[in-house]
Amino acid sequence: MNKKLNRRGFVKLLTKGILTISGGLGLGGIIRFFAYYKNEYPANEINLGPADQYPLGSKTILNQVPAILHHTEGSYKALSLTCTHLGCTVEDSEGAFHCPCHGSGFNADGSVLNGPATQPLQTLKIELISDGTLVLYKQ
Amino acid sequence: MGKRLTASIIFLLGMIVMFWLEGRRPDPVELLPSISGEPEYCLTCHQDLPEISPSHPVDIFGCVVCHGGEGLALDPDLAHSTMRGEKNPSDLLVVEASCGGSTCHSGSPTEDRDHIQRVTTSIQSTYAGAIASVRYSFGAQNDLIAHMGINAVQDNNSATDISFLTAFNPTQETQSSLLSFAENCLYCHISAEPLPGEDYARLTGCAACHSPLSPDGETTHTLTTAISYTQCNTCHNRGNYSLRDMQYHPREDQYSGRLHEYYQPIAQFVRCEYTLDCIDCHTRSEVMGDGDIHNNQDEIQYVQCRTCHGTKTELPRSYTIQNENDPAFRFALLNPVIDLSVGDTILITEHDEPLWNTRMLADGTYELFGKATRQRFVFQPVAGTNCGQNPDEQESHYCHQCHAVER
Amino acid sequence: MPRPSFVHHLHPAKIPRKQARFTYTFGTGGLAVFLSIILGISGILEMFYYIPSPDRAALSVQTITYLVPLGGFIRNLHFWSGQLLLIITGLHFLRVIFTGAYTSPRRLNYLIGAGLFILALLLDFSGYVLRWDVDIQWALITGTNLLKTIPVIGDSLFKFVVGEALPGSITLIRFYAWHTYGLVAFAAIFLIWHIFRVRRDGGIASSKSPANRKPDRISRFDLVDREILAMLYGGAILIVVAALLPSPIGPPLTGISPNLGQEQAPWFFIWIQELLRFGDPFLFGVLIPLILLGLLTAIPYIFPKLDPREIGSWFPTSGRFAQGVVVVIIMIILIFTIRAL
Repeated sequence: MNKKLNRRGFVKLLTKGILTISGGLGLGGIIRFFAYYKNEYPANEINLGPADQYPLGSKTILNQVPAILHHTEGSYKALSLTCTHLGCTVEDSEGAFHCPCHGSGFNADGSVLNGPATQPLQTLKIELISDGTLVLYKQ
Repeated sequence: MGKRLTASIIFLLGMIVMFWLEGRRPDPVELLPSISGEPEYCLTCHQDLPEISPSHPVDIFGCVVCHGGEGLALDPDLAHSTMRGEKNPSDLLVVEASCGGSTCHSGSPTEDRDHIQRVTTSIQSTYAGAIASVRYSFGAQNDLIAHMGINAVQDNNSATDISFLTAFNPTQETQSSLLSFAENCLYCHISAEPLPGEDYARLTGCAACHSPLSPDGETTHTLTTAISYTQCNTCHNRGNYSLRDMQYHPREDQYSGRLHEYYQPIAQFVRCEYTLDCIDCHTRSEVMGDGDIHNNQDEIQYVQCRTCHGTKTELPRSYTIQNENDPAFRFALLNPVIDLSVGDTILITEHDEPLWNTRMLADGTYELFGKATRQRFVFQPVAGTNCGQNPDEQESHYCHQCHAVER
Repeated sequence: MPRPSFVHHLHPAKIPRKQARFTYTFGTGGLAVFLSIILGISGILEMFYYIPSPDRAALSVQTITYLVPLGGFIRNLHFWSGQLLLIITGLHFLRVIFTGAYTSPRRLNYLIGAGLFILALLLDFSGYVLRWDVDIQWALITGTNLLKTIPVIGDSLFKFVVGEALPGSITLIRFYAWHTYGLVAFAAIFLIWHIFRVRRDGGIASSKSPANRKPDRISRFDLVDREILAMLYGGAILIVVAALLPSPIGPPLTGISPNLGQEQAPWFFIWIQELLRFGDPFLFGVLIPLILLGLLTAIPYIFPKLDPREIGSWFPTSGRFAQGVVVVIIMIILIFTIRAL
């Protein structure tokens, strides 16, 4: 094909080009507009209150985290009850855990019993501080 | 066609101008203080400001919790529009909102930690003694009890008989001397703007003591407990008030050096009184008040030479630090001139205020670290020396008779 | 000839060249539509960040202005387009009066236009209130209190608008609903109807003289081309204005703040604020402005006759009375505005 770009065609092309660039800039601007993200201070630490509330041998469900707290010989352990599949809170069923959303199952120690979850329940850091209270870190 | 090309070019130019102007705006610098959890952008313009003190780190406190202001705004007029006290949030009019709060400097159960309540009822704030004696002298009241202060204050928990002071109001005084008093003699309380001149330059509120100006007289972004005598001397030792002509007469001596600068020519003082700083002897409750409304300075000021040196028959009061919760550790933390440990014996005043910058040494002498100078001094108690002073006459002015320094 | 697009089809196939002249209408109507579109787009963008609750509204406006990339620009664009819309709508109204384009069959469209003007005014005022900073508090308080002065329906009207005893969180959410949806919905319907009526009434008003029987026409393609040009130039000016001139913002409103805030009414209500100095709030703040507005709205019914040959030319002599009344009313408004400044 004989593609001759005469003056009129060139002007049209240039106009379209400039309008496209303007449009691109506008679209880029709108995308940047939506990219704003507010940083919240992460509510990382949770004060669990005096450690005597959790006697030796107890298993306490902490709904506000959500997690389960074991006070075993020598130490406190906290297991997150957030399902590692898509974030629902798993339910306690005789020591094991079952997720009501899509059926994931976890053992008492957090390891995966059945899918669709593939990662075990997270162990959360817990500290006994000097005045006798327990502090949990959500990560 | 050419028309649309021209128009598109102009449109594109408009967009380029807009993006260019946007690019020139400074990038917001975010601060996320843990105490509030809300982001602030003051540092976008104020990045060069130094940390105010080790106990108020900016990444925990941020700026807005003390200063107020609009933390999200990047335009100075809006950002500063709601700031408390302009540059000084510790001015007594706004101090409760800036420095107060039960986790901060007010509202705690023991009066010893409610600094806002104690300072606003202290003599240095109320000026109650001066007001009472001048009014008494000119017949406006018939006793020397404090009834009025610079600002109206209340004390619901008063250990003195005074539970409130009304505000001294010159427009309601009929005596012309009292009007002159109001005009000429009220430049030295904590709410007052000082007289002009670098000798008097200071801030108001908490900053009057705790934020000294730079040697050039500029305000600095600092809070300190290491307060030098020069700060006290922005009000003290500057001159005298005359009741006769109801005027303030500044001191006229030319001085150079600490010995001559420290005190007014009429004063009598011993060596430690000009080598140390005021706060090495004068305690927290003397300066900041004890939480109660008092009639005058005499009632609150109690430290004497014997507080540290004891008397011929008694060693100075002391106690041994028993555990880590002792308040002496807290005070030493704020101004680390001394390294205290559990088991140290330190001096304590007659009103149970620990002199945390002192320590008893093994040989029975004592050491003291200057709070502002950090200098170490070793001193003896009076007991066991040749001091011939009458044991019943142990006030400081007696010590001055022999030990006063010649200028 | 290329096939007309959707946009082309929204326009009439041909319109008389005389009607389309820039020096005839100065494009005031078209500009008003353009500004409305800009307002709609910039408004929707702001809706992604604005929070209509009293303790967060002003902070969200600060977030948009200072922290969101290009947020300040979008907000300025929205603000200036809004103020310009009132001015352009006013100029459009003046054009209609001074070219005699208000007589039958255009009288209904004139009323629809009056409705649009009132909606634009309410949109500007409600948008102003949404800032919820100390500068809006007096306008909000006095404006809503003026409603109470209306006899018979005043208290109910106040309850309808404010929703509580004192303007607060319920008021804010109502103003938000009106500003972003309610008034916009009415305005959209009226606008479409208004533009339809323009076509139904025979296009932009032009002379009914015999010489005009078969006028020279321009095609829809030409018309759309002209509109694109106008939007490009108008857009460029708006963008630069919005990039250079900041829109007003004040510290957040946290309860009534005496001694603070803007005592002067928003510019389009300054004349009413001046009138209110004279006495009874209902008379001077509601009745007189409504009477003036009513007079302006009733012009096509008070002065229905116009020489048909003069329609479409500026300052027709047969329309002198109508023009005079309008000039007097506009002068009253201008004088009272200038008095206050």
